[in-house]
Amino acid sequence: MSLRPATPVLAAFGALLALAGGEAAHAVLTAPREAARLQAEARLVRDLGLTDLALFTEARYTRHPSLADLATAFQDNPLSFDHFPSGSLIAPPEHFGPTALSFSAGDLR
Amino acid sequence: MTALNRHRALLDFTVAALARRRVKTLALVAVFAAVVFLLASAMFFAASLRREAEATLAGAPDLIVQSLSLGRQTMIGAEAVPQLAAIRGVTGVEGRLWGYFYDRINGANYTVMVPDTAAMMPPPGQVILGEAVPRLRDFKWQGTPLFLSRREGDLVRFDIARTLGTETALLSADLILMNEADFRSFFNVPAGQFTDLAVSVRNPRELSTVVAKATIRLPEARFVTRADIARTYQKLFDWREGVMVALAFVALLAFAIFAADKASGLSAEEAREIGILKAIGWDTRDVIAMKLWEGGLISGGAFLLGTVLAYAHVFWAGAPLFAPLLKGWAVIYPEFRLTPAIDALQLGTLFLLTTLPYAAATVVPVWRSAAADPDAVMR
Amino acid sequence: MITLHGVSKTYNEGRPNEVTALRGIDLAIAPGVTVLMGPSGSGKTTLLSLVGCMARPTTGRITLAGEVISSLPERFLTDLRRRRFGFVFQRFNLIRGLSVLENVVLPAAPLGAPRAEVEARALSRLEALGLAGKARMPVEVLSGGETQRAAIARALVNDAPVLIADEPTANLDTALAHRFLDIVAGLRAEGKTVILTSHDPRIISAAPVTAVVELRDGAILQVRS
Repeated sequence: MSLRPATPVLAAFGALLALAGGEAAHAVLTAPREAARLQAEARLVRDLGLTDLALFTEARYTRHPSLADLATAFQDNPLSFDHFPSGSLIAPPEHFGPTALSFSAGDLR
Repeated sequence: MTALNRHRALLDFTVAALARRRVKTLALVAVFAAVVFLLASAMFFAASLRREAEATLAGAPDLIVQSLSLGRQTMIGAEAVPQLAAIRGVTGVEGRLWGYFYDRINGANYTVMVPDTAAMMPPPGQVILGEAVPRLRDFKWQGTPLFLSRREGDLVRFDIARTLGTETALLSADLILMNEADFRSFFNVPAGQFTDLAVSVRNPRELSTVVAKATIRLPEARFVTRADIARTYQKLFDWREGVMVALAFVALLAFAIFAADKASGLSAEEAREIGILKAIGWDTRDVIAMKLWEGGLISGGAFLLGTVLAYAHVFWAGAPLFAPLLKGWAVIYPEFRLTPAIDALQLGTLFLLTTLPYAAATVVPVWRSAAADPDAVMR
Repeated sequence: MITLHGVSKTYNEGRPNEVTALRGIDLAIAPGVTVLMGPSGSGKTTLLSLVGCMARPTTGRITLAGEVISSLPERFLTDLRRRRFGFVFQRFNLIRGLSVLENVVLPAAPLGAPRAEVEARALSRLEALGLAGKARMPVEVLSGGETQRAAIARALVNDAPVLIADEPTANLDTALAHRFLDIVAGLRAEGKTVILTSHDPRIISAAPVTAVVELRDGAILQVRS
C-alpha cells in the first residue's frame, strides 16, 4: 500500500501535539521552582515594602503607577519622548546634556 | 472501524485536494498561525505578569499614606505617625524613605529606597543594587564602587554590599537600597520627614473603617490601599493587553474577510468537483464532513502551531518580541523570566475565535452545491 | 432486472421553464447490454439518471430486483446508488490534480472499507483495463481513451452489478470505440448489466448489445432485442 496523502499531515499534527505536550510538561515541572521564586519575590516585597513592578522605569507614574500623583503625569526625564502630543510643542530645557537616546537638546531645534 | 475508515478516506481526499495548491495552502496556514501567535503571546504574557503581580504584591503594605500639596506628592511629616497609630485597629506606622535618581551617565531612572527591615539594610556607605544597575553601568569587576552624581562636579561613592538576583528582577531591577543616614544626606532630606507612611492594620476587613477615620485626622492626605495597588495592576495589564488584542483583532478581522472571500467565492471548478463527488455516490453528509476536515486541518493546524510557538516565545525565549514594546523610552528593562500561566478560558476563546469562523466559512458556501441533485453533472 | 412502470419526469415543475423530459415510460431492462438511442433531447440521459437513482421520477414506479426504489428516501437512494451502480459520464468527470488511483478509489471513500482492500480492488481493475502503469500519474496526462478507462475503473471500484454510461463513445475514434466495446463484452461476460446511451450506429449494431431502446420526445418509439 502506498503512502496515503493524509499521513504526513497527521504526522505533523502529531509532532505539534507532542510539542504542546512537552510545553505542558514544562509548565508542570517548573511549577515548584517558579512557586519558590514567587515566594522569594513576595518576601522581598514584604521586606522592602514594595508596591509596584519595576517594568516601566521611564517616568514616576509608570514606575509606581499605584502611587502616582493624581494630577501630574510629567516626565522624569525631560529629554525622553513624551507620552502626550503637547511634548512635541515644547522644546526641552537647554542645560540638559546628552541622554541615553543619544541626542542633545540642541539636536531638537 | 467503518466510520474511522470513512473519515480517514475523506481526510485523504481533502489533503490530496489541498496539496494541489500546496503553496497557497501553506501560506494560508502561515498567515493564520502568525495571527494566532501574536494573540496567544499577548495572552500568555499578560496572564503571566498578572499572576506575578498578584502573587507578589499581596505582601505590599496594607495602606500607604501620602501627603499631597499643589496637586503633587510631597514629603510627609513625622507628626502624622502618632495620629495614625492612635486609630483603633492600626498595629504599626512606618515612615518610608524612597525616591528617584536620574543617572546622567546612562539616562536611566533608578528607584532609591531605604529598606523597612533591618535584614535588608546596608551598612553606611554601602548600597544593595537591583539587577539592572550594575548591568547598565557595565560593572565587570567584583568590588567596583558605584559613583552617583547629583550635579555637575559632584560625585558620591558607594560600595556595593551585594546585588539582588535576576529571579526578583521584575520587582527589583532598578533598585538602589541605601542606609537611612546616607539617604537623608544624599537627597538632603531633613530628619522628621518621610516620603510616605506605611500603615499596617490588624484585620484587613477593618481597612475601610481605618481609612475613614484617618481621612478625618489627615484631610489633605491621600490613602492607597493594597486593594488599590492590585486593581492598578489588573487594569494596567488589561489596558496593555487590550492594545495588543485590538491590533490582533484587526488582523483577525482582515483575515476573516480574506477567508470568507476565499471560501464563499466557491469557484466553478470546486462546485463542479462537488457535483462529481455527489454523482459518484457521496452524499451531502460526506461532502460536508470532507469540507469540515479541510477547515479543521487549516484552522486547527494554525491554532496549534500559533499557540505552541507563542508558548515557546513567551516562556522559553522570554517574549523578545514584546520587550521593545514594554521597554518604551525607558533605559532599564529588567531581565526576567515568566512563570507559565495560561488562562484556559482565554485560550478556549481564542480557539473558538480562530477555528469556528474559518470552519463556517469553508462549510457554509459548500452547503448549496452539496445539497444539489446528483444528476446535475449529467445535464 | 430493472423495470419502469408509467414513469415520467418533469423538470422545474410549476415554473415557467417547466420541461417534461419523459412521459409514460414502461420498460424492462434485463441483464446484458442495453442501449438507449435517440436524438438529443429525446430523454436518454434523463432515463439513465432515473434508472441510476440519481433523480426520482415525477410519476410512476421503478423497481430493482423486485424492490420499488423510486420512493425510497434520499439516504437509502444514495446508499443503493453507491453499491449497485457505477457511472461513466460523457465528459468522464475525473477530478483534476489527483492521481488515477486517487480518482478510482473516490466512490469507495464514504463506504468505509479498509484502504488496502479498496486499493487492491482499484489496482486489479486498472490492471484489467491496461492502466496499471499509470495509476500514480495525475489524470491530466492521460489520453482520451485512457481517461475513459480510468472512469470505467472508478465506476466499477465498488463492484457494482450495473454500469451506466452516458454517450461513452461520443469523444472516441473508431479504434477506441471498438476497444470500449471489448470492455463492455468483458463486463457482460462477468454477468454485469450495462446500460448505455448512444446515437452511434457502430454501437447499436455491435455484437455484445442485447437490447436497443429507441426514444423520441420523451417516449419509447420501439424496443429491439
